[in-house]
Amino acid sequence: MASRTPAAPPRGHASVSPETKKPQQISVGGFRISTQKLPILKADPIDEMTKKLGIQVPEMIFGDNFVCIEHPPSGWGINFNAFDALDLVDKTGQSMLQVAYSKEWQQSREKTHDGIKEVVKPFDWSYSTDYKGTLSPNARPFEETTKPIPIELLKRPDPILFFDEVVLYEDELADNGIAMLSCKIRVMPERLLLLTRFFMRLDNVLIRLRDTRVYVDFEKKEVIREYQSKECEYEKVRQMLAGTRDDIPALMRDANRLSELLPVVDKKSECVTLDS
Amino acid sequence: MPGLPRTIDLDECIERLYRKELLAESVIEAICAKAKELLMKESNVVHIQAPVTVVGDIHGQFFDLLEIFRIGGFCPNTNYLFLGDYVDRGLFSVETITLLICLKLRYPQRVHLIRGNHESRGVTQSYGFYTECARKYGNANVWHYFTDMFDYLTLSVVINDEIFCVHGGLSPSIHSIDQIKILDRYREIPHEGPMADLVWSDPDPDRDEFSLSPRGAGYTFGAQVVRKFLEVNNMSHILRAHQLCNEGYQVLFDDRLSTVWSAPNYCYRCGNLASVLEVGDKMQRYFNIFDAAPENDVHRSEQQAQQNRDSQPTIDYFL
Repeated sequence: MASRTPAAPPRGHASVSPETKKPQQISVGGFRISTQKLPILKADPIDEMTKKLGIQVPEMIFGDNFVCIEHPPSGWGINFNAFDALDLVDKTGQSMLQVAYSKEWQQSREKTHDGIKEVVKPFDWSYSTDYKGTLSPNARPFEETTKPIPIELLKRPDPILFFDEVVLYEDELADNGIAMLSCKIRVMPERLLLLTRFFMRLDNVLIRLRDTRVYVDFEKKEVIREYQSKECEYEKVRQMLAGTRDDIPALMRDANRLSELLPVVDKKSECVTLDS
Repeated sequence: MPGLPRTIDLDECIERLYRKELLAESVIEAICAKAKELLMKESNVVHIQAPVTVVGDIHGQFFDLLEIFRIGGFCPNTNYLFLGDYVDRGLFSVETITLLICLKLRYPQRVHLIRGNHESRGVTQSYGFYTECARKYGNANVWHYFTDMFDYLTLSVVINDEIFCVHGGLSPSIHSIDQIKILDRYREIPHEGPMADLVWSDPDPDRDEFSLSPRGAGYTFGAQVVRKFLEVNNMSHILRAHQLCNEGYQVLFDDRLSTVWSAPNYCYRCGNLASVLEVGDKMQRYFNIFDAAPENDVHRSEQQAQQNRDSQPTIDYFL
């Protein structure tokens, strides 16, 4: 049975009144699903988060947002939040990308400003993360599986009892593209699907997609988590699209279309069955 | 204005734009040509007098621009200085830049427009303005008129010889504002050099000097850089935009630098506040803070269709 807590999500207005702070919530088949959407963080929480993470946070940081799936009878739970996702970003600068015109820029400055050599705290400024969610303390861990998410069951037009889309962070890469981590969740009477997607397009350099899907079968109390990482050089993707008649710049912004084109570079499937 | 086709009445254009009506392609062409003539005569450093209300990034959020006029006063009753980034991201870049250019032509001494990093051919092709022009006019002509005109926008303004105003920030190539005056600005914003730095660089409150961005291009500037620049140029404050602040503004370096951000609920989903900075007769500074205009709600579905990440998302059977 589904029961829905009436909650007013923030309507996009900057001021947040107390009642809009309540998360949206639904309980179905022993599982509780909740989401929260608030404005980007203010300066003080940003400073605090920056200190804790040790890297500069993305320009649009929705630090209070989350998506959470819990199974109270077993104490199992998984949630997706910006802090934990950013904590997995490379902080050493080892996997650092460079913008397309970097060489040109470096060469021109060598003559004039040789004195300035210090790079501000090098880190992976593309905010690439392989975040697969945060398990609640003492939650039964996932185990590797070959069992796929049952796509056919998800294609059925079952009624959607709860739907939400939550952005965790976004950065415009100083107008060199986009990096964005966002979650989508839909809850049907017998199952749910959560997709957390990291999408990064560094113009003229690289396109990267990292999807984590969490599928829950309420009856079986079974959770399947699939992680898939795809990426491809920007120019190659552009060439793949060159034959189409569509607006290519628009396609290069469309993560769904790009997902069909990009080759898989990493993949992992896990499963856990919960106690009643 | 002499030189405009006789049929063009700026007051009428402004009235229509306040109602969010688009002007004809031929009118845009004439207005941009006229604007070039006017802007060409401006120095790279324009000196103006307070009182003036300073506006940061708008990014095509037209209803919020109208809200600024309602809050801060309409032209020419209030003098305005806009710090750039008029276009891209929002739904109404065309209406926004057309209105601002008409106001500049109508009240050239009371309205000043600085160039932001989005007033460029390169950036506007990726971030919405090009697509919006092509969609609203059926071809890219107006985009060409506007972006050609952008090459003439000034790079900086000084208020009462005291406050230095720029879109992004400082450059290691520029110590004195006289060095800005000699730049050849009538061109597309280059990827490197002082002109790029002025529209792109950001302050770093944790540093003293210039640092390199980890992206492999661009600088941040620190406390000593700001102090020295103000000292050398005998000024007291730097005023810039370019960076989103949830509170609508940010003051750094012991009150030596302010960021002003004027796009509330940025991209129709950030939920941030915005502000304009009112600089008074006696150079007192007051941040007038405001929220997203209620008219935005009328266009919520349009915004959703474009952004698709609003508070009330479109339900779909994603896989």
